[in-house]
Order: sequence, then structure tokens, then C-alpha cells
Amino acid sequence: MGFFLDIAWLIPLLPLLACVALTLLPLRGAMAGRLAVSAIAIAAVLALGVIVALAAGDGTAFTRVVRWAPAGAADLLLGYRIDGLAAVMLVMVTLVATAIHVFAIGYMAHDARRVRFFAYTTLFTAAMLAMVMAGNLLLLFIAWEVMGLCSYLLIGFWYDRTYADPNRITPRAAAIKAFMTTRVGDVLLLIGLVYLWLEAGTLEIGAAAGQIFAPQLLERLATSGTAVGMSAATAIALLIFAGTIGKSAQFPLHVWLPDAMEGPTPVSALIHAATMVAAGVFLVARTFPIFAVSDALPVVAAIGAITALGAALVACVQFDIKRILAYSTVSQLGFMVAALGVGGWGAALFHLLTHACFKALLFLGAGSVIHAMEAVVGHDGPAQDIRSMGGLRNAMPRTFAAYLVGALALAGVAPLAGFWSKDEILAEAFAHGNLLIGVMLLAASFLTAFYMTRQVWLVFFGRFRGGASLPHESPATMTVPLIVLAVASVLVGAINLPWWHTLSDFVAAEATSFNLLLAFIATLLALAGIGGGWWLYRSAFADAATTDPLQQAQPRLFALLQQAFAIDALYGWVIGRLFDVVSDLRDRLDRLVIGRGVAGTGSLAGLLGRLTFLFDDAVLNGGGDLVARSTSDAGEELRRSVTGRVQDYLALAIAGLVVLGVVVVYGLRP
Amino acid sequence: MTMVDSVPLEWLLLLAAALFCIGLFGALVRRSLIGILLGVELMLNAVNINMVAFWRYLEPNLVAGQVFALFIITIAAAEAAVGLAMVIAIYRSRRTIDADDAALLQG
Repeated sequence: MGFFLDIAWLIPLLPLLACVALTLLPLRGAMAGRLAVSAIAIAAVLALGVIVALAAGDGTAFTRVVRWAPAGAADLLLGYRIDGLAAVMLVMVTLVATAIHVFAIGYMAHDARRVRFFAYTTLFTAAMLAMVMAGNLLLLFIAWEVMGLCSYLLIGFWYDRTYADPNRITPRAAAIKAFMTTRVGDVLLLIGLVYLWLEAGTLEIGAAAGQIFAPQLLERLATSGTAVGMSAATAIALLIFAGTIGKSAQFPLHVWLPDAMEGPTPVSALIHAATMVAAGVFLVARTFPIFAVSDALPVVAAIGAITALGAALVACVQFDIKRILAYSTVSQLGFMVAALGVGGWGAALFHLLTHACFKALLFLGAGSVIHAMEAVVGHDGPAQDIRSMGGLRNAMPRTFAAYLVGALALAGVAPLAGFWSKDEILAEAFAHGNLLIGVMLLAASFLTAFYMTRQVWLVFFGRFRGGASLPHESPATMTVPLIVLAVASVLVGAINLPWWHTLSDFVAAEATSFNLLLAFIATLLALAGIGGGWWLYRSAFADAATTDPLQQAQPRLFALLQQAFAIDALYGWVIGRLFDVVSDLRDRLDRLVIGRGVAGTGSLAGLLGRLTFLFDDAVLNGGGDLVARSTSDAGEELRRSVTGRVQDYLALAIAGLVVLGVVVVYGLRP
Repeated sequence: MTMVDSVPLEWLLLLAAALFCIGLFGALVRRSLIGILLGVELMLNAVNINMVAFWRYLEPNLVAGQVFALFIITIAAAEAAVGLAMVIAIYRSRRTIDADDAALLQG
């Protein structure tokens, strides 16, 4: 079985080749989708082979490296490292990506640019797989940045769309916003990696000597101080975590993710729900030994809990079907980050995997709904507004069934996947974290059940409010992935049940002890959320113009939450002010220093130029002319001696001979 | 009474010089290319007289003077052949053998 480990480098290469082929070959639309799906499906088979091969081995990581470039004392290596964590992620990413690409064949069937779409998504998949397999943090960072680029390209995929409402963000603006926001985190991450390089002299992942988790190195990092008082390990961990905050959309850099929903829905499912946003969680899990010896974990836990609760609150009042899911994603990522912060990276990984399944399912289900709604209300109509939906369970039974499974899994209803993973996180939080974080996460999980019930009820139950004719069920390429993912959402919890810690053992994480009381409370809260949502919304919407019951009860709080705590407005205001001040300073600098400098330099250059001109004109130019004219005149004189008559030449030769003779006879004699 | 006793060397040298000058004058002033060639022949033969005279009067035991004279005669014959061929070629292309008309190289 070592065969699969030896050819594991094919896993990211296949999607990359598909991307190259899609970019360079003149493929038609239908072929593009099939090519992308087959490349990723083969990668998925290889990934399954890898995980089986690894499980059959002795549990040590499999590493293959080639020498890349000399760098200082040690060579920079390029290679892949497959341990339990990487293998599990490989399987998850390839399987989810396969389902989503199959779905995209149907969803993008009428888009003129779908070849480009598949080129981008395959490039993204290749980068994600490369990041998961990367044997050192530099390669990981490269893949990380390529993912950022793909995210940008795909959010802005419909870059020519504009909306009548000036307050609604266009795909173009959303892409720029996402890129700029994640850039903040990425730059800090890069600084962190450079810092780690300076301290450790290596970026190789592993616990052996000369690798970043070598015990003596970690001890040195934990004890050596920095200028600001914290230990080097804390500084590095916080800088790496800044990358996570950007990529995994944690507070305060979460603002890009809801707007990223302007991209095509399969992209939202693939990149902005299931895989790329999980990269941040993966990064922390990857570098967890550094976090473990640092003081950064409480910060991580606090950020995660704040994000989980805040985003869940915001998700309760959104009307856009994808935005609800986007805030839900932010919230669930907050759960994972909080789990990392209390030391339960195994629980975080477990939730990452289950969440990837059911969130991909929910997004694809939302895509199916939007696809059907667009056929009824048009591209510019309220195709994503849950107030205009309703009653779709009869019109779209397969989508409804799958969506319901996803929603229940997300809400944490036993025995679906979300229940097990969320329960592990809560158990970790109460066992190792502080009580406040546990309570915040409990509240967030109650709100999760509430907003999912609200969404499912408004979309699928009641009466259709979007028009006279009902939408139709989506084609099989779209519903089959939904059903597959629904089955996965039911079953994937089984990989890490409280009694058989298969996943924890496989990735060598500390297993979480089951807390029966907590599981009971969490289930009660989930059921309370579902019941509350049902009670509040069971007959709230008579038509699309009805006011939300929450808005009637708390109009000001509702408005605040609708603007997501006005963080966007705050950033706009602060950064706008900052720009004003900086541009004013730059203006003064320009006018007073640079402007005058430039003007002075200009007049000096003018003066020098005039001097040079005088010299040039008189000496160089005149001198050159003089040489030319003299040569010409001399030639004019001399040409007269060349008569062309042979007797003149003879006469001259004789005259010369006579002169020569006189010189020889009289001149050379003493 | 031999020639050496009755005719001094200077006479022969004066004859040769006169002949050379006549040849040179002819070569420089004749218009006809044939005339120029004749002048050149005269100059060559003046040199021959010199050669033979010096041999006869000064070094009668060495054959070098005679050999030189014979060489010059041979070369003069070759020169006359080449020169006349060129004159004919010029005549064919220009219908004249006037040296002043063959002045293509004039600057």
C-alpha cells in the first residue's frame, strides 16, 4: 500500500493539470465540467488510497522531499508530508470538491464563462490539496496565497454584474474587499513565518531535530523573550493566528465572508464554507505544538467564542438565504477556533470535517433553491430572499429532504454528524476552558438551531410568496450530490463517536471524554431553538412584504444585527478617516517637500542643460563640422591630381624616382 | 684594335642615357598608345645597352650582365605582347587608341 503514499504528489497535480488543460485547450463547456470532475475524482480515489495506506502503516508520518534551494545554513526543501491530519483533510477536500464540481456542472450549465469557472475551481482545489500536504510552512504559505487568489477570482466571477440598489455590494467590490481583508491576516502570517525562520532556521514540519517542533527548539521559543514582553512562541503563535483570523473569517476580520456570497453558489460551498475557510483552522492544528507552548491559546479561545456567538446573532436576522449560511459559517468556524483555543484540536478537526459535509450540503441546497427561484423571478428578482420563498418542500422534494438533513446536522440534533462534533467542542470547552467560553458556545448553538429553523421554515414551509407559478426541482447533476452529501452528513459523525475515537487516534490527538450532562443540555437547547423558531415563524409571513416578528419586537436591536453590529460601517468610517489624514499628510509632503524638490531639481537640470548646450554647440558640434568640412575641402583639392591619364601617373612615378634617386645618391652618402 | 680600346665607356653610357630620355619623352608625350609602348621599348633597350656595356668594360668574366640583358629582352617581348593586346582591347571597346580618352579613373 506504500504505492499510494509514493504517488501522493499526484493528488494536487491532477487538478492542477486539469486547470492547465482548461486554460490552454479550446474545450467546450460540457467537456470542461467533465474534465474537472474526473481529475478531482481520481484525486479522491488516490486520497482514499493514501488514508488506507497510512492506516495500515505504523502511524509515523510519510515524508518525501526534494532539495529546492540553498538558504543559509540549511537547504530549503520542497516536499510533502502525510500524517493522519493531512490524510483526513485530503479525503475530505477531494470528496467534497468532487460533489461540488458535479453540482457545478448543472448549476453553471447556462453560464457563458463556465470553462473559466472550472479552471479557477480546479486551481483552487490543487492549491488546497497542496497546502494540506505541504511538508514545510513556506510551501503551505504559497498554496495558501494561491487559494486567496482563487477566492478573489471566484468571488468576482460575475464581475460585470451591477445592482440597482447602490447599497448592495457588487461581486467586483466583494472580491476586492475579500482580498484586502484577508491580506491583513496574510501579511501578519508571513511576518510570523519569517520570525519563526529567524528563530528556528527551518520551516520543516515535524518533531525531529532541525524541524520546527523539535522539543529543544520549542523550549527555547517558550523561554526566549521579545521586545514587547511576551515569549517568542507567543508572538509567533499570535502572528500565525492572525493568518487564521483572516482566512477563517474570525472577528475582527470576518467582514469579507458574508460579502463573498456574491460569487457563484458552488464557489460559496467549496471555498467559503467547506474547504478554504477551514484552512485557517487547519493551520493552527498543523502548528499546534507552537501554540501549546505559548500563551496565545486564551486569545484564540476568546476570538473563537466571540465570533461564534456574534455571527450566530447576526445570522438570526438576515433575509438572504446565502448570507444566513455565510454568517452560520463564520459562527461554526468560531466554534472550531474556540476548540483550538481550549486545546482540543482533535475536536476542532472533527467539527471541521462534519461541518464541511453539511455546510457544503446546505450551500448546494441553497444553490439548488436559487437556481429554481431564478427560473421564476429572474436574475434580478429576489431569488435569494427567503421572504419571497415558501412552500418549496412540495415543489423541490429532493432538495428539501437533503436540506433538512443538513439543517438538523448543523443544529446539532442527535445522531447526525453535527451533534457529535459540536458536543466534543462543548465538552472540551467546559473541561479545559473557562466557563464563560462554554456558556457563549452553548448560547451560539441554541441560536444556530433557531436561525436554521427560521430559514428552513421560511424557505420550504408555508405558502409560496414569490409569484403565481411554483419553481421546479433542479436536474439530477444538482440533486445527486445533495443526496450524497446528506448521507455523508448523517454518517460522518461515526468517525469519532464518544466510544470509538477513530479520528482522534488516527491523528494522534487527545480524545475528548464524553459529558452526558452537557450532551443533554445541548440537545435540549437545540430542540428549544428549533421549537422557538417554529413557534415564532409558523405563520409569521403572509406575503413577501411582512415585517419580521423579531423586528416588531426589537426594531433597534434588529437593525443593529441586520448591519452585523455595524462593523462594516465602523471600518468604513475609521479607514475613511485614516485615509483622509494620510492623504492630507501626503498632500502636504507632496507640495512642500517633494514638489519643491522636483521643481528645484528641474531648474538645476535646466541650467546644466543650457551650459552643456553651449559647450556642445561650440566645441563638439563646431569641431565635428570643422573636421568634416576640412576633409571635404582637402578631398576637393586632391581630386584634381587624379586625372585618370596614364601618362600623368607615369610622369609622377618618374618624378618620384628621380627624387628617390637624388636622396639615395646624395642624401644617404655620408 | 678592339672596341674597348677605341670607344670609351662614357660614350656608351651617354648613348644609353640619350636613348632612355628619348624613350621617356616619347612615353610621356605621345598621344597614341602605340607610341607610348614604343617609348617604353626604347627605355628598356637603353637599359640593355647599359647592362651590356658595364659587363664588357668592367666585369667581362661574369655572365650576369649578359643574362640580365637577355632577361630584359624576354620581358620586353612579353610586355609588348600584353601591351598590344590591351591596346587592341581598348580599341575594340572605344574605337580609339588615344591615351587621353582612356581616363575613366579621373577623380
